[in-house]
Amino acid sequence: MARMKFLCDAERCIECNGCVTACKNENEVEWGVNRRRVITINDGEPNETSLSVACMHCTDAPCMAVCPVDCLYQTDEGIVLHDKDTCIGCGYCLFACPFGAPQFPQEGAFGERGKMDKCTFCAGGPEEDNSPAEQAKYGANRIAEGKLPMCAEMCSTKALLAGDANEVSDIYRERVISRGSNKGAWGQNLAYNADGRKR
Amino acid sequence: MSEYLHSTLFSGFLQRMLVLITLLFSVSLASTSYAGNVASADGNGTKGADYWRAINQQGQSGYTTAKGKEAGVLINRSGEDWRLTRNQQVKPIGQWMLAGTLGVLFVFYLLVGKNRLDQPRSGQVIERWKRTDRYVHWIVAVLFLLLALTGLSILYAKHFMPDLIGKDGFGTYLQVCKWIHNYGGPVFILTLVIMFFKWVRNNWFNGHDFRWFIQGGGMIKGKHPHAGYMNGGEKLWFWILMLGGVVISLSGLVLDFPAYIDAREDFQLANLIHGAASLIVLCATFAHIYIGSLGTEGALEGMVNGHVDETWAKQHHDLWYDEVKSDR
Amino acid sequence: MKLTRKQSSAEQTGAQGSQQNKTGLSRRSFLSNSGIAAGGVAASAMLSPTMMRKATAKSAPSSAPTEVKRTICTHCSVGCGVYAEVQNGVWTGQEPAFDHPFNRGAHCAKGAALREHGHGERRLKYPMKLVDGKWQKMSWEDAINEIGDGMQKIRQESGPDSVYWLGSAKHNNEQAYLFRKFAAMWGTNNVDHQARICHSTTVAGVANTWGYGAMTNSFNDIHNSQAAILIGSNPAEAHPVAMQHILYAKERNKAKVIVADPRYSRTAAKADQYLPLRPGSDVAMIWGLLWHVFENGWEDKEYIAQRVFGMDEVREEVKKWNPAEVERVTGLDEEQMRTAAKTLATNKPGTVIWCMGGTQHTTGNNNTRAYCALMLALGNIGVSGGGANIFRGHDNVQGATDFCVLSHSLPGYYGLSGGAWKHWSKVWGVDPAWIADRFDKDSYEESKGKPVKPQNTKGIPVSRWVDGVLEDKANIAQKDNIRGMVFWGHAPNSQTRGADQKKAMEKLDMMVIIDPYPTASAVLPDRKDGVYLLPATTQFETYGSVTASNRSLQWRDQIIDPLFDSLPDHTIMYKLAKKLGFADQLCKNIKVNNDEPLIEDITREFNKGMWTIGYTGQSPERMKLHQQNWHTFDYTSLEAEGGPANGETYGLPWPCWGTPEMKHPGTHILYDPSKAVADGGLNFRARFGVEFEGKTLLAEGSYPKGNELKDGHPEFSAKLLQKLGWWDDLTDEEKKAAEGKNWKTDLSGGIQRVAIKHGCAPFGNAKARSIVWTFPDRVPLHREPLYTTRRDLVEDYPTFKDRKSHYRLPTMYESIQKQDFSKEYPIILTSGRLVEYEGGGDETRSNPWLAELQQEMFVELNPVDANNNGVRDGGDVWVHTPEGSKIKVKALVTRRVKAGVAFIPFHFAGHFQGKDLRSKYPEGSDPYVLGESANTVMTYGYDSVTQMQESKVSMCRISVA
Repeated sequence: MARMKFLCDAERCIECNGCVTACKNENEVEWGVNRRRVITINDGEPNETSLSVACMHCTDAPCMAVCPVDCLYQTDEGIVLHDKDTCIGCGYCLFACPFGAPQFPQEGAFGERGKMDKCTFCAGGPEEDNSPAEQAKYGANRIAEGKLPMCAEMCSTKALLAGDANEVSDIYRERVISRGSNKGAWGQNLAYNADGRKR
Repeated sequence: MSEYLHSTLFSGFLQRMLVLITLLFSVSLASTSYAGNVASADGNGTKGADYWRAINQQGQSGYTTAKGKEAGVLINRSGEDWRLTRNQQVKPIGQWMLAGTLGVLFVFYLLVGKNRLDQPRSGQVIERWKRTDRYVHWIVAVLFLLLALTGLSILYAKHFMPDLIGKDGFGTYLQVCKWIHNYGGPVFILTLVIMFFKWVRNNWFNGHDFRWFIQGGGMIKGKHPHAGYMNGGEKLWFWILMLGGVVISLSGLVLDFPAYIDAREDFQLANLIHGAASLIVLCATFAHIYIGSLGTEGALEGMVNGHVDETWAKQHHDLWYDEVKSDR
Repeated sequence: MKLTRKQSSAEQTGAQGSQQNKTGLSRRSFLSNSGIAAGGVAASAMLSPTMMRKATAKSAPSSAPTEVKRTICTHCSVGCGVYAEVQNGVWTGQEPAFDHPFNRGAHCAKGAALREHGHGERRLKYPMKLVDGKWQKMSWEDAINEIGDGMQKIRQESGPDSVYWLGSAKHNNEQAYLFRKFAAMWGTNNVDHQARICHSTTVAGVANTWGYGAMTNSFNDIHNSQAAILIGSNPAEAHPVAMQHILYAKERNKAKVIVADPRYSRTAAKADQYLPLRPGSDVAMIWGLLWHVFENGWEDKEYIAQRVFGMDEVREEVKKWNPAEVERVTGLDEEQMRTAAKTLATNKPGTVIWCMGGTQHTTGNNNTRAYCALMLALGNIGVSGGGANIFRGHDNVQGATDFCVLSHSLPGYYGLSGGAWKHWSKVWGVDPAWIADRFDKDSYEESKGKPVKPQNTKGIPVSRWVDGVLEDKANIAQKDNIRGMVFWGHAPNSQTRGADQKKAMEKLDMMVIIDPYPTASAVLPDRKDGVYLLPATTQFETYGSVTASNRSLQWRDQIIDPLFDSLPDHTIMYKLAKKLGFADQLCKNIKVNNDEPLIEDITREFNKGMWTIGYTGQSPERMKLHQQNWHTFDYTSLEAEGGPANGETYGLPWPCWGTPEMKHPGTHILYDPSKAVADGGLNFRARFGVEFEGKTLLAEGSYPKGNELKDGHPEFSAKLLQKLGWWDDLTDEEKKAAEGKNWKTDLSGGIQRVAIKHGCAPFGNAKARSIVWTFPDRVPLHREPLYTTRRDLVEDYPTFKDRKSHYRLPTMYESIQKQDFSKEYPIILTSGRLVEYEGGGDETRSNPWLAELQQEMFVELNPVDANNNGVRDGGDVWVHTPEGSKIKVKALVTRRVKAGVAFIPFHFAGHFQGKDLRSKYPEGSDPYVLGESANTVMTYGYDSVTQMQESKVSMCRISVA
């Protein structure tokens, strides 16, 4: 079984925000909710690095562990999805996520946040694949169509990779060999390796 | 899926709680900020370990076009601490505390039994709780229990309820719980404030209370220590409820009005404090309920119909009884 | 029209990964947004209720079949391929085109948000006019009639030159060509477009160096580079997909990347070396690099001897640019310059890439020629992996330039001479006398002592239309001022001197704005009437060809029908021509259906006339064949390996010599002698005669593979063919057409065919020249910008003398530079792009997916300048410039810019000197994001050859707002 992964190659990411709008386009995400964002460290200074970040679909996902309604679940391919019908908008997933992935459409009084929204790896939700309900609540289900997340597919410099762990690592390994050093893979040990999260 | 062992032990947790509570009281809700830039390493390309360490472990933030709190932070590890503290300390410890309290009370009941009246009832009653007092008490009590039930559901119910009522039913149930908790909470705070002002003058400690505590409140067979309108134990409960109430209320308000809070560290802190303090107060509540009902003959009558038997008053609140009698 | 996909019976393609979904064959459908409870209306929080427009949504049954159309992104000149999925006429999906040879499915923020064009919520929806300060809907018929009558009135009173036709780089080739033809038939050379203000100095400088003024290689060919120097170019934001190719070279070849830019841009962050030069000191920097090259003997001596003219004169000038002087002028020290020079000299082939940072100066043509000289000295031109890779801006700015929507030439750079008019009259099938009759017959200028007619003199360029309105008419070399402006796909905020522009707009008799969006032109002037808005379609609602920066022509499918009441540009041109009375001449060879000229016929017509630059071999059929076979073209060489286009280069990059039947494969790399001309090889063009000052201009011992003359030779003509004894290689029919003609004017293409048959480039084989004796500066010289903070350099490097008539207008240089503003305005002001927006930004700021990402106009300030002026990061500031304008923007304090330099992005509009103009837009057509225009404060200054505006260097003062 494939294990789905994102990998952002810091040596290639140029903060063009193509991944961000690709996601908006494919999933019709409303204004104010950003399932994916690009962050530039040391902006405008030497050692400037840009990285695209969204839900990393962690192996042992903190959001799943804290959700009081257990609305988050992981597919066989390691994709962390959630059920908006069950979600109560408590915000615990947001408190727990190291990557700031969960988004809430509002931030009202009395803890009214609306239903959580986050990157689905373009894999929709619990509804029937590509049903109207799934489209409306979660956006596209490209995985069911045999495609990969739009953000990675449209990345302008192929910095953002997505797909089966083995294939992603092969591509990245090839680049590392070309460059002659292992630099630029980001967030990997934290998201996918249990030990990585320990201090 | 397994949880990882966390190095901090229980004592560490308590220590942390104390620090957190202090922090909360000083209204220092601002989270740690990470100013400045990541240390430059060796120029272009190879950024070096320190560079990534600052991002990975110190929450180094950067520029982003995305709007929203914390949008510029790549990795925020605080969530992991919160998750582990909540799931591996607050939850299990709270669970054992609640079970432990119930267990202790049960054993106590078995061993000691009901604290009965020493003398037969006189048939004469005196008024102990006015109508308004009783309303305040029972409103606070009902709200408290509702909040406790919904709060406990949010904390623990996912481990068994979905199997009982199905996933959808559970989702609906918790949604209702959340609404009750989030809207009921502020109401509870209001009633608690009313209770405080109404009862605070009866609850200042004095010398009698000190002696009352020395003698263990006369719970176990022995002489009844002197007590006024409120005995030491009741006063203690009052202050546990009030101080705990402040902690629970403040932390609850943080969680209830997210728009005013900038950093998730504040939510995490508030959530842990809220949970821990609530669990502690809940344990005390169990004791209060026990003493006020099963544990003490005649105590519940006062809060139900407002009057107590003179014998009961003489036995538990002799100084108050004397006062009432001399006033006549 | 906001549509959301609703349902899909997913057709599983079975496997993961990109290679499986070449055509994105998923079946999808959709429904109107109304049924979705979960999401709110986009952006509802930030919009006032009046701005919300009820969208009319088409719906389609969920089982509606999906059509996949192939189109090209309209947001920059890289030319990224796109698969658009359409159901029941609604654009429901956008899939990455992994098989497209340019972008391999990749997109930047703009390309990835392309499908929003199918929603078009903020589009201009109906023809409108301003009546008593209010926008009023009208019918197309009324609009065309009123506009036409207004124009005829101006024509009768002031002559045809008083109506200005401002065209667009967002037209496709066919529309651009038709537009230029339209202006010619209206009878004026007052026609121009954005190329004037983006790469005109490149075109002039480069064409005068080696023949053609375009990108010599391609984005893909950068894969073969060992080094790249990017000057005033920030592809990470302006051409993100180009970065894919640059980073590929960096990774695979270990290519060294040098970025010279006053700003530490996103591109600079990926570079091996960063050269923060002072804005406006490009020539000094290049000569500084060449100083080290010559000093160390790193130049390619054989190459220079065979293929370069005038390098000795450059060498003399370079001698003055010793490291100390370079540091004084550019701020770059000896070590930096030496390192960079050595990198370029020891890593070959290397390429130079430049953009607006180099071109938008009063000395723009000097800059571009200096870049060329550097590459020529290193022998980097005409080789794979080398070249001058000039990244153009708009998606079709290359095409619109080639069709010369320009005030100084007819299509194909034929110029405005009598011969040029004769050639095109023949192609158009009209009498040259009829055209001459359309023009003003009086004369207002002299050339070499003889009076010249407006038909043969350069018109007013777009950069100066403002002066064409405001200048005293006695000083303008035409009958009267400009009285009517047609903004046909133009954002006024991309032009400097915004305050003057507002004044000019208010003085005009009539303004006509033809555009998918109202643009800032609709709101800038305080007018009560005389403004017309006509809704044009985007390129997704029509079809045709588009020329990418690398000269490849790509065919676009029509994705959807025109939205709302909009019409394609060529239909509007026809309607207007009909009203103005020359529709029959305009479309003599072109079939017209229901007022829409047939695109393919337009293509075929320009195929018959564009011999100079080889736009002749790209028939609609060949382009469509390439479009349908993206996957057969190689990612690096762009050559089709097998398949129906076997051996051809993708998009038949011009010159694609001869007729389509000749099957020339297109020229991937210009001037590359390693291939035969028939296979896309070339040499430098013999454009400037055969000798100069007694020395030969022809190549010596260098010639393309298979050249039978084995040496330099002049351009081909009937005479030369006869002299060489090749005349009889022509067919009888060709002979008839070729008699007395040359390779540029022989409409049969026979001369080109025979020249190529003998291995010769039709345009001759000459040397590139590193000096241009027809330009104000024969050798490129450093000259200080008009508004310079460095008074100490003005004396040593003064600007030009003022000119009385340059493109019909008086043009100031030294009279501005001699005023000292440096005390009051101590900070250098420069401008540039953001990745989320394009050009004036009306289109992209109306796209919510993009607008959300950049909601505020800002100025980048170094902490030093911020602290000196009491400015805090995120605070409001005023930026003041010497001509008295000011803008209110947010401060972004960053070390990206050096102390003493401030940067502003130029995509914003809708605020003017602190005033919000949102209420002046037609209802529902205001972009989501408004802001101050950078060019409100950008100042006077125009290139000495092309009238390029100087928008990359001015000076400013910052104060807290």
